[in-house]
Amino acid sequence: MKTLAELKKYYQSDLLPDLEVLEQQRKKIINNLSKTAVPVILIALVLMLLFRNAVVFIAIFSVVGLGIAYNYLIRDYVFNFKREIIKKIIKSIDAGLTYQQSMHISEQLFRESKIFSRRPDRFKGDDFVSGLLGKTKIEFSEIYAQYVTRDSKGRTTYHTIFKGLFIAADFNKEFKSTTVVLPDTAEKLFGNFGTMLQSWNKTRGQLIKLEDPEFEKLFAVYGNDQIEARYVLSTSLMKRVVDFKNKTGKKIYLSFVRSKIFVAISYHKDLFEPKVFSTVLSFTPIKEYFENLRLAVDIVEDLNLNTRIWGKT
Amino acid sequence: MLLFVVILGIIVLLGVTLYNSLVAKKNQVQNVFASIDALLKKRYDLIPNLISTVQTYMQYEKQTLTEITEIRAQAVSPQITDDQKINLDNKISRALGGLMVAVENYPQLKANQNFMQLQGALNEIEEQVSAARRAYNAAVTDYNNAVEMFPTNFVASMMHYTRKQVFEISKEQRQNVNVKNLFNKN
Repeated sequence: MKTLAELKKYYQSDLLPDLEVLEQQRKKIINNLSKTAVPVILIALVLMLLFRNAVVFIAIFSVVGLGIAYNYLIRDYVFNFKREIIKKIIKSIDAGLTYQQSMHISEQLFRESKIFSRRPDRFKGDDFVSGLLGKTKIEFSEIYAQYVTRDSKGRTTYHTIFKGLFIAADFNKEFKSTTVVLPDTAEKLFGNFGTMLQSWNKTRGQLIKLEDPEFEKLFAVYGNDQIEARYVLSTSLMKRVVDFKNKTGKKIYLSFVRSKIFVAISYHKDLFEPKVFSTVLSFTPIKEYFENLRLAVDIVEDLNLNTRIWGKT
Repeated sequence: MLLFVVILGIIVLLGVTLYNSLVAKKNQVQNVFASIDALLKKRYDLIPNLISTVQTYMQYEKQTLTEITEIRAQAVSPQITDDQKINLDNKISRALGGLMVAVENYPQLKANQNFMQLQGALNEIEEQVSAARRAYNAAVTDYNNAVEMFPTNFVASMMHYTRKQVFEISKEQRQNVNVKNLFNKN
């Protein structure tokens, strides 16, 4: 399945019956939620009036309690939704793909990509998809990686390293070096001076200046082998990466490590999660799930990974 | 007096930094050129194999094959200059390109397992050579910028550093491949 028109048809014939069952479940959850929330809030208000010096404490306590109750109530619903709907959409995109909802890309692979130099302290994720598309092995999942800082008072804060879709696939050429393609912030802000600043940044290896001006404007490339970096990033691949970046409209990171390609597309929200407070029946969210999945799967085609004319089979 | 010493110190330090950056850039150019050389050698090593595989099938392409063999013989001889190397590389790229086009006329050859492997290997080296050329051009541009731009240009002229040439596509290569000419050679 490729186009939106096909998806719409598929949605009407195959997804709607399942969605209707889920919609019933969702309504029940809302019902239960209000049954829990109303008394909790009432009790909290009464307690707040009685113990005025503990208002903040009571407020925090009840919010946390409601949060836990919410997660507990929607757990089955989310599980069913992913098992029925997301799995079906993935199968419809390509029958060779498998879906495991509670698994994710391993932390080891994430770190192997060398895209993010900071080691994550907390690593989560779900919606793991893997399979063989043509000759290319691909796997991706949602990833949420964070690191922790402690200030002088001992308070811990979590900072996001990366949140979004993380994709790992076989590359169509054989190589040994590491090349990292990062969104270019310095050059955008400071022009040529920015390029100079980038060349001083030695933590990433050498700065690799490429000749495609459009690509250079969007990305900064670092690597440990000037020639192999250009072997990987051929002129046509640079063009394809630019097109892909424009298509996503998001911040994207790429890396090429030992004959593998890694792509990280950052998102601010959770992907592939069902709606709880509005109807699950509408087509728009389905379209969104489809488009995000398609984006990951299309990398194989967009970056031409199935063309194997360079000695790698 | 102290001020004078400080200023002199700064000037010397600046001079050393500029000098070192220029030397690093020149060495980078040489380094990449050496890699090109290695890759070209790798390609020349494949050619005898290719010729012997192709010969039995291609009866009408004798001249192209002899031409390739001759260029290779010149290229692997040790006493040629860098410019000649580049020149021969251009020639052989063109000749091999022509050969690959001619292969389309020999379906049996196209299906030959040995040939397919060689073709894959050649494609790969071709891609690597082109990557190395781009790396060379980037290194040369970096070097040339340093030679011409302020303030490194002063140091460069004292060191007798001059501009270097980037790899250019020859006139013949810039034209589209004329398939008809390739076949009418005999």
